[in-house]
Amino acid sequence: METKYWRSINELQNGKPIDHEKEESQHKKAVFSLSNKELNTPSSRRNFLKFMGFSISAASLAAACERPVQKAIPFLIKPEEIIPGKSSFYASTYMDGSDYCSILVKVRDGRPIKIEGNELSPITKGGTSARVQASVLSLYDSARMQEPMKEGKQITWEQLDKEVVAKLQEIDKAGGTINLVTKTVYSPSTQAAIDQFKRTYPSLNHVTYEPISASAVIEANGRSFGSLTVPDYKFEEADLVVGFNADFLGTWIFPLNYAPRYIQRRKLTEGQKSMSHHIQFETTLTITGSKADKRVPIRAADEKLVLAATYAKLAAKFGSSVSNVPASPVEVDFLVEELYNNQKKSIVVSGSNELECQLLVNAINQLLGNVGTTIDFSAPLHIRKNKDSDFAAFLDVLNSGKPQAVILYQVNPVYDYPDSNRFVELLKKANLSVGIFDHDNETVTSLQYIAPAHHFLESWNDAEPRTGSLSIAQPVIQNIFNTRHFQENLLKWSGNNQTYYDFIKATWLTGIYPKSDSLASFETFWTKAVQDGVVQLKASPVSISYDSGAVTEILPAIKPASKEMLELHFYESISIGNGAQANNPWLQELPDPISKVTWENYAAVSPKLAQEKGWKEGSVITINKKINLPVVIQPGQNYDTISIALGYGHTSMGKVANGTGVNAYQLQKLANSRVMYFAPVESYTATGEVVKLAQTQEHDYMEGRPIVRETTLKNYLKDPASGSKHQHEFDKQYRSLYDEPKYDGYHWGMSIDLNSCIGCGACIIGCQSENNIPVVGKKQVALRRVMHWIRIDRYYSENPENPRVFFQPMTCQHCDHAPCENVCPVSATNHSNEGLSQMAYNRCVGTKYCINNCPYKVRKFNWYRYTTNKAFDFNMNEDLGRLVLNPDVTVRERGVVEKCTFCVQRIQEKKLNAKLENKPLKDIDLLTACAQACPTRAIKFGNTLDKESIVSRLEKDPRNYHVLEELHTLPSIGYLTLVRNMKDDEMAPVGGDHHS
Amino acid sequence: MLYCSDKCGFIFKELRTAIKLLQLGFIFVFLFHSSIYADDSIQTKPKSATTHDHDAIKKGERLFYNLINSGRDVQACVACHNVEKSEKFNWNPSAYEIALAGQGRSDADLKNILLSPVGKKISEAHKGYVLSDEQVGQINAYLQNFAKEGPPKSGKLMTKALIYVGLILLVLLAIADAIYTKFLRFKVINLLVVLVAGLLIIKTTAHEAIALGRSQNYEPDQPIKFSHAVHAKQNKIDCLYCHSSAEYSKTAGIPSANVCLNCHTLVREGTRTGRFEINKIHAAIENHKPIEWIKIHNLPDYTYFNHSQHVSAGKISCQTCHGPVEEMDRVKQISDLSMGWCINCHRTTEVQFMNNAFYDKYEQLHKDLKEGKIDRVTADKIGSTDCMKCHY
Repeated sequence: METKYWRSINELQNGKPIDHEKEESQHKKAVFSLSNKELNTPSSRRNFLKFMGFSISAASLAAACERPVQKAIPFLIKPEEIIPGKSSFYASTYMDGSDYCSILVKVRDGRPIKIEGNELSPITKGGTSARVQASVLSLYDSARMQEPMKEGKQITWEQLDKEVVAKLQEIDKAGGTINLVTKTVYSPSTQAAIDQFKRTYPSLNHVTYEPISASAVIEANGRSFGSLTVPDYKFEEADLVVGFNADFLGTWIFPLNYAPRYIQRRKLTEGQKSMSHHIQFETTLTITGSKADKRVPIRAADEKLVLAATYAKLAAKFGSSVSNVPASPVEVDFLVEELYNNQKKSIVVSGSNELECQLLVNAINQLLGNVGTTIDFSAPLHIRKNKDSDFAAFLDVLNSGKPQAVILYQVNPVYDYPDSNRFVELLKKANLSVGIFDHDNETVTSLQYIAPAHHFLESWNDAEPRTGSLSIAQPVIQNIFNTRHFQENLLKWSGNNQTYYDFIKATWLTGIYPKSDSLASFETFWTKAVQDGVVQLKASPVSISYDSGAVTEILPAIKPASKEMLELHFYESISIGNGAQANNPWLQELPDPISKVTWENYAAVSPKLAQEKGWKEGSVITINKKINLPVVIQPGQNYDTISIALGYGHTSMGKVANGTGVNAYQLQKLANSRVMYFAPVESYTATGEVVKLAQTQEHDYMEGRPIVRETTLKNYLKDPASGSKHQHEFDKQYRSLYDEPKYDGYHWGMSIDLNSCIGCGACIIGCQSENNIPVVGKKQVALRRVMHWIRIDRYYSENPENPRVFFQPMTCQHCDHAPCENVCPVSATNHSNEGLSQMAYNRCVGTKYCINNCPYKVRKFNWYRYTTNKAFDFNMNEDLGRLVLNPDVTVRERGVVEKCTFCVQRIQEKKLNAKLENKPLKDIDLLTACAQACPTRAIKFGNTLDKESIVSRLEKDPRNYHVLEELHTLPSIGYLTLVRNMKDDEMAPVGGDHHS
Repeated sequence: MLYCSDKCGFIFKELRTAIKLLQLGFIFVFLFHSSIYADDSIQTKPKSATTHDHDAIKKGERLFYNLINSGRDVQACVACHNVEKSEKFNWNPSAYEIALAGQGRSDADLKNILLSPVGKKISEAHKGYVLSDEQVGQINAYLQNFAKEGPPKSGKLMTKALIYVGLILLVLLAIADAIYTKFLRFKVINLLVVLVAGLLIIKTTAHEAIALGRSQNYEPDQPIKFSHAVHAKQNKIDCLYCHSSAEYSKTAGIPSANVCLNCHTLVREGTRTGRFEINKIHAAIENHKPIEWIKIHNLPDYTYFNHSQHVSAGKISCQTCHGPVEEMDRVKQISDLSMGWCINCHRTTEVQFMNNAFYDKYEQLHKDLKEGKIDRVTADKIGSTDCMKCHY
């Protein structure tokens, strides 16, 4: 049987992706209906001649006159470490409570312009996520808080300090409470500052609030193991990974730590011959589910039933009986079998916020002996470490009638707390309310005072995301606006005029330096810590004991839920996350890895449900009479569920976020003061309207040729080339009119491991940030004009209700026989002697022949000028937003074609450095922006002529194949076949079968 | 046929419009040229009502021009301190610069500076002047007023542009004559005029269009009369002492003021400029105002150029591109910095092939060298004429 690959329901059913003719006519209409504002100039032949006449005469005269004067203004006194025109890298830390990443910040002439991963970090290992990559743009956001404010009017810091301190003292003396609400504090120095604040104001009530928490995990661990923490999951040591609605590669708790460790056990390079087996039970299709070897769609509400049944059957295997457990709605025997066979080397995780689920997960892990082997409590995590009940308790305190002060730091409950109306009401009663924010948000207008905070790139800070693993954040730019460290506010209000930098150093001198086994002096230790960005302390083993009482208590309460209603399921999207960075246009335009929708959230429904209800792609439905959302038919979505991403639909966050998507937090429900990620659909009606979604999915159709190759681990072990058999046959058949290309010295190549790619999109934003790629907006994306130089193609195969999913990063293949190059009438694109397909923008006249002739569809055309153009009011339309541009890369004008350059500016820079150091260039020194950003190191880059280089070694790997190799374009990018560790033979062998 | 004539008619119509606009564009540009193109002279101050006695200012001006004899046979102030912008390089500060530096200065101070100055150069130059207190006051009034009024606008005639316009008018006249007035008997003369003038127009247009965006021979006045001849030639200071980042970075870098002070904390007076110019460095440091130099060598934004590649890796001397800067008192752009000029050099310049381990990877070229197939490796052999070596 031949495996059928498809990319959308339309394609599966009709054999072609969309009605092309209709689409084409719509497209044409759209082109010609554009207003003059977007076109910028009315262009006709008449005007062309007019302007030509004018410009020739003007130009000749201009040449006779003097040119505009350009100035060169040197430093007055040059700082020693700065060389103008050369970038420096500073180690720092990305942290916003929920997320953490150790980073290097590229600073050029005083401006941070790019974020890269810090290889020295034992936690993130040099990886980044899309949101980390994009956070440099958030620094240059004009919607940031700029000045201290009182009741919406600008005041001075002195006035703010005076008034706030007076009120704090008054409230403290009157027996009231001072409430400080923050996200999880995992910075030792921030904690010390809060402690000092508490000594001054003993009534301080520190509340930790997370819009998307791991509350149930922490509470369950408290009950089961007596440790209120998230343990360290050692995915790299697990032979079996079982996930229940836990998108641990994308969004669940700490994906930047989990993804590289999970992939380490799934790579088949460097001699590794085995991989872990991954089973995922989930409601909507996530990137984690896409990587799973077996995926089972379930209702989120049924998760506890599945877990209970699994636990009962597993317990029976171990000889104890658990009675009165309701039946599981899905088959679990295979799971029980697998778990039983992988004792002490499996991990079961659940993303549920129901205590029952987490207690059952703990019970299963305990039963299998995983706790202590793959699940380690001696180095627990400190991020997202809160209990949802804390915030509920805080609301009760606010309601107590006593004088109240509320200080909010980087939290936005008016937007993201399900019962936000109650919060707003109670906030009005507070005698003092202060918001310490770095960005405008929905909560600002409900507060009396606003103390603007530094962006994290302007701040000193430290962090301890995991016990023993510390890192330091250092400022890389002077604060742009009149802002202040959050911690300095606390210090100042407690009468301490120390700077936060001195305070951190003091904390490290007394708190952290003694714990390190450093023999150096403190100053040396501190300098090294700031330079490296990370410090590793020895963790002391912790002994925990398991209490089985909890799970026995909750088992009888587990009852099958009513299935009459559809289930509403909420999830965090890869790009927007909890919504804190929603005003970042890069992230809004990052396609969802699965649905490829940009610029909004949507109601994901299964193909079967859509057919039953008569919903089409883009049909707008009203849910619970509260929100209107377009339908996206999502293969793999559980049948009777509707999934909605959180984090969208802001009303007061800046021009990009406002009105983009719908706020789904307001549909969430609280149960035992925990936020639930599913709720029954009380009502739904189709409005009859059908909207066009800005999807990148239907772009760049590859005419049904299977571009992805896959095999099973079993077949791979029998024949390593089982996934990519045809490669060598094609090579033999090939004849060409052109000479074989010859290279000397350097030939750049890339190797992409489909096993390692998790589709997270970090490479897309990394590339966007490195290469000055413009944001084009929803309307243009819908017209298939997204400008990203690298995209991640996602293919489906087999059953649309539960398909197998493939991710394939696709960018310019830098073919040695490039079809695009020989059709250019002006030779604007040609081949370099290092194998790069070059693009000279100033030579390009925009015929787009190359776009037509590229079989990979990776070339992009600048339909408009995207800089300083009001019609594209994103970061490149503002002086502030343009500060993020990379000065080494041209900002392209309207009318030229552009594409991936293999980050030629980085190649040239590293080549030059090698020349200056008088040594050969090694490929470990050189990474493209996409390879640098990749959290799982799926993308490798290097010199294919160097026999030692990783790319030339991977080129010889039997799994290596080239996309569309039958065209003999000789691409410089090789892909390694996807290998899945299927237990049953449910996948037909597909090794390179195409031409259906 | 019908179709063709239709089409031709259309084209003619368009041509007419084009010509019309061409002329319009001309007049427009001509009329507004002074406001469109920036002037590289020091910014002019807005005019304001003078607070000084008009009479005193007038007298001061005459004294400055030595029209009222100030005692003995001495040079006029204006002989050294030019009032109008001059094309020739002048070591002495211009009158306007002096006026700006002395804003709000008292008569007594000015007298001290004029008649018993501190510097060696200025004392020699000002020897023999006899000025009464009243005269000093008048000169001061003139200078104070000058600082306010700004330097007089130079009435530079745009000869090139005028000739160009004249040629176009000539062509139009010749055509008009041939069609309407028929003043000239022989049409051949009209034709000749049109041809010659037309060719000249085309030549000028082409020439100017090629030069568009280039600025060969650009030689602006700098905020400090810094002489490379004095520093690099007389005092033999290495280029890279001041332009140190040329070795490491993309930009050669204008030295920061603290680099100047390495010497000029001790060297406080120049032989030709006296103290006036060197004092500007100290003033910059004291006022926390960086010196705003005029950039001479400008490349377009779409061109990537890296100094360290040429200076450190390529071992190209500064003079190859910048000309004999060590001979220049005022720096001038010698090369046209065009792409053809870059490429020509890339084709002929030898790479440091044997002296740098980076090039070890080029096995084929090394083999060819060894076998004597080639005797040297020029930059284009390793791809330096590829687009993406400079454009990305």
